[in-house]
Amino acid sequence: MRPDDDDLDEEIRGHLAISMKERLERGEDPKSARLAALKEFGNLTLTRDSMRRVWRHRWFDEADALVRDLRFALRSLSRAKGLAATVVVTLALGIGANAAIFSVVRGVLLRPLVNRDEERLLYIRQSEPGISRNLTFSVPEVDDFKSRVKSVGAFGDFSTVDFTMIGLGNEPRIVKAGVVGGSFFEVMGLRPVLGRLLNARDDGPDAAGAAVLTHRFWSTSLNSDPGVVGKTIRLGPRPATVVGVLEPSVPYPADTEIIANVVTSPHHLGATMVTNRTHRMTELFGRLAPGASIDGARAELTAVHAAMVREHPEAYSPKATVNLTVTRLRDQIAAPARTVLIVLLATAAVVFIIACSNVANLILARSVRREGELAVRAALGAGSGALRRTLLAESLVLCGAGAVFGVVMARPLVALVAGYAARFSVRALEVSVDSSVVWVGAALAMAAAVLLAYVPRLPSPHAPAGLGLATGGVRITPGTNRRLRIFATMQIAFSFVLLAGAGMLLATLVAMQNATTGYDMRHVLAFDVPSPATGVYGPKMIEFYDQATRRVSALPGVEAASVGTTVPWRDGGTMPRLPFAVEGYTPADGEQNPLGRLRMVAPRFFNVLGIPLLAGRDFTDDDRADSEPVAIVSQAIAQRLFSNGDAVNRKLWWTGATGRSFGPQQRRRIVGVAADVDDENIVRSPALTVYMPVRQMGLAGRLFVRASAGDPYTLVPTVTRVIRDIAPDQPVERAATLEDIRAAVLSPDRVNAFVFAGFAGIALLIAVVGVAGVLAFSVSARTREFGIRMAVGSAPRQLLGRVLSEGIVIAAIGIAAGAAGGYLLALVISRLITSVQLPGAMPVAGAAAVLVSAAIVASLMPAARAARVDVLQALRSE
Amino acid sequence: MAKSSDEQRLELLQGTLDMLILRILQWGPQHGHGIGQAIRSRSDELLKVETGSLYPALHRLVKRGWLKAEWGISEANQRARFYELTAAGKAQLSRERDRWSQLVDAIGRVMNPAASKE
Repeated sequence: MRPDDDDLDEEIRGHLAISMKERLERGEDPKSARLAALKEFGNLTLTRDSMRRVWRHRWFDEADALVRDLRFALRSLSRAKGLAATVVVTLALGIGANAAIFSVVRGVLLRPLVNRDEERLLYIRQSEPGISRNLTFSVPEVDDFKSRVKSVGAFGDFSTVDFTMIGLGNEPRIVKAGVVGGSFFEVMGLRPVLGRLLNARDDGPDAAGAAVLTHRFWSTSLNSDPGVVGKTIRLGPRPATVVGVLEPSVPYPADTEIIANVVTSPHHLGATMVTNRTHRMTELFGRLAPGASIDGARAELTAVHAAMVREHPEAYSPKATVNLTVTRLRDQIAAPARTVLIVLLATAAVVFIIACSNVANLILARSVRREGELAVRAALGAGSGALRRTLLAESLVLCGAGAVFGVVMARPLVALVAGYAARFSVRALEVSVDSSVVWVGAALAMAAAVLLAYVPRLPSPHAPAGLGLATGGVRITPGTNRRLRIFATMQIAFSFVLLAGAGMLLATLVAMQNATTGYDMRHVLAFDVPSPATGVYGPKMIEFYDQATRRVSALPGVEAASVGTTVPWRDGGTMPRLPFAVEGYTPADGEQNPLGRLRMVAPRFFNVLGIPLLAGRDFTDDDRADSEPVAIVSQAIAQRLFSNGDAVNRKLWWTGATGRSFGPQQRRRIVGVAADVDDENIVRSPALTVYMPVRQMGLAGRLFVRASAGDPYTLVPTVTRVIRDIAPDQPVERAATLEDIRAAVLSPDRVNAFVFAGFAGIALLIAVVGVAGVLAFSVSARTREFGIRMAVGSAPRQLLGRVLSEGIVIAAIGIAAGAAGGYLLALVISRLITSVQLPGAMPVAGAAAVLVSAAIVASLMPAARAARVDVLQALRSE
Repeated sequence: MAKSSDEQRLELLQGTLDMLILRILQWGPQHGHGIGQAIRSRSDELLKVETGSLYPALHRLVKRGWLKAEWGISEANQRARFYELTAAGKAQLSRERDRWSQLVDAIGRVMNPAASKE
């Protein structure tokens, strides 16, 4: 239906012919008839264009031109496949890394939570400066807030408890549970996917036990069983009914499997919990009252808190002011990941800059070779707009291909980066690949394309010198050469920053991995064997652990077994340090009592874990609740607090409120000194540790088994069976050797180092390509110069050295710039976000050495080519 | 001479060209040149359509489906595109004819108030 251009032309020709024929018939002569017909018709081109416009919009013609340019770009790029491939791969790396990291950043930091009106949700935190630990709140404190604060409409409380759960799944399990008041779900603004959530009727000591399952637990452990609602389960000693399943939401403050009402936890109903102002284990959430602002709420909460501290001075440390911080819940959840994500994003941006400058280099070099072609086109009348469009089409093709590969690459990367970020914020768990990957990729590609189209200089149509280049010879102008070198130097500089950073992380990792621990790592298995009824201390429990230790020790393949409270690294750091005093040591004025780590261990604990006793004796079975209170101290205590390290038979006692609550306030006789170990930090530092006998404290929960030979893990089933023989419902979990526990704790550092080393590797690769490209181009453009040099007597070796030294100069300037820039960057970052650790001399020197050798390698090929220049051919080449 | 005839010539009213084309084609298929000539002769040389307006208008009418175009041989033995009314075109013509007479009538009332009162 639509006439094409030929149809239009033919129609016009037909019109003219008819018109002319009429005039001829009227007797005009052919020449004037023709002129008259043309004159009558008017503007031919204009008419033809208006006819075209009926069928095709102006936009089509523009698009036509671009398609023509794109086709031209494809053709001309297919003649430079190596260059095109390099550019596409480089851009794909840059775009892919950025798109992946950005979508994780978006998911973790920017996306709103699923909670209703989530921007009105607050998280309230109480902490002491110095101890950055979250103090949380006690029930009396929460009650004070509830009754006095008006700008927060409702408060929700949440505390974490370990239950032994029976009734879901086959085996008794330890589950991490949240215990909440009736207002919690209303405040959080969450909905059930099944059944109902807990409400005000579930609150208080008289309600029936009720529990809500988290979506993750329900869907992964229970295969989304719809029949679960209404089931009765046992949580520790008490029954509870499963009333519903929570919608998928960010598990905060703790990733629990179930959330139960207060009545399921005897501890929550006890007097200590309800009345003791210092018994803090409750996390506090708030929802802003209608019309209230977060600043107003913060001011009111702070004022109420200050009043509380004044009214109850005994409950707050007199030496340190207790701080209250109020943040949006979303910010609170994302906060730990913010720094690491911003650093990642910055790293990815640096990689993108390196990639772009490398591509700019390649394009620039290519455009210099094309100057002849461009000059011819300019001379033939192509405007500068048309020339730019040619260049733009070419960079669009390159960047588009780069973006496509980059986005394809980004998809698996998102999972990788999200898994990494999940170590810092639970929100990363819900990050999935979404369209943001695509549009970030496209946006970056567009930015790169426009940038690249404007990098090359256009030949001036007024400069006749341009035509000389049409013969195909290449001559670099000093300006182009300088630009090439600047880009190459930039790449080296940025790569240096990344390499030095990665080097620092690797050095830290190596130092951690090689640090000695003081434990026997290979042969010791640790188990979680929590006391059957959590929170019940006493003779029955001691009897259980005694029996378990005895029977496990008797197993074949077991050399020895013992119990304690703390698995190194895994449990270390979960207990606060407590102030204590020793006989014969008086703190100087203004100095506080020393803080010690409290560990409860059974006899033979030191033997099982391979910790030497340096003086005195081990605990024995005779150190019982009714015998003399005793303690063993670490070497660090003996050396710091006693003259000559002579600690045995001196007295020690706890001074703080928490320490006193662990037992009757007694002076304990120190009976032994154990070698220093550090169960909190991977790299050991001397720790003030006080060991007390399990039998005198009635608290344990961890079983340690030393295997005599072979693979310790073969003992796991028999040990579990032996313990279940004693107590059928007893959970026995998380069996692992100390070696594996340490490796698991180290894995974030390992991932950190690998992620950044990966980035640095990419950057290095790109930089090597960049330097090699610049030198190769510079050599090929100076063939004539080299020919002349050789003709006048330069040895090939001199030329080789010349090119090599050019490469080294680029690397050296780049490294210097990178060192200076990196130092400044570190200063800026540490002022803005967080303190930055500067890499030591080793990583810096290492990074510099790697870059210089990379530059030498990159220069070798072009240098060899320069040295092989054939004099006659070179001189004839123009 | 040419000047005086130009002065007598009337400017075509906006939007009337389409109607004129449709009207001319009621007598049968015609090519562009023929349509132009027909408008000119039937208006006693008072209306002259510029080719620059005529051809785009023809193409517009084809696009709207009121005309269809076919290649044919003219009386001068020239290959030319012949335009022909479609059914939709006929309906459109009668609509435009009604609108036109209403317009003429309305303008007449404004210009000659006395005449319209009777």
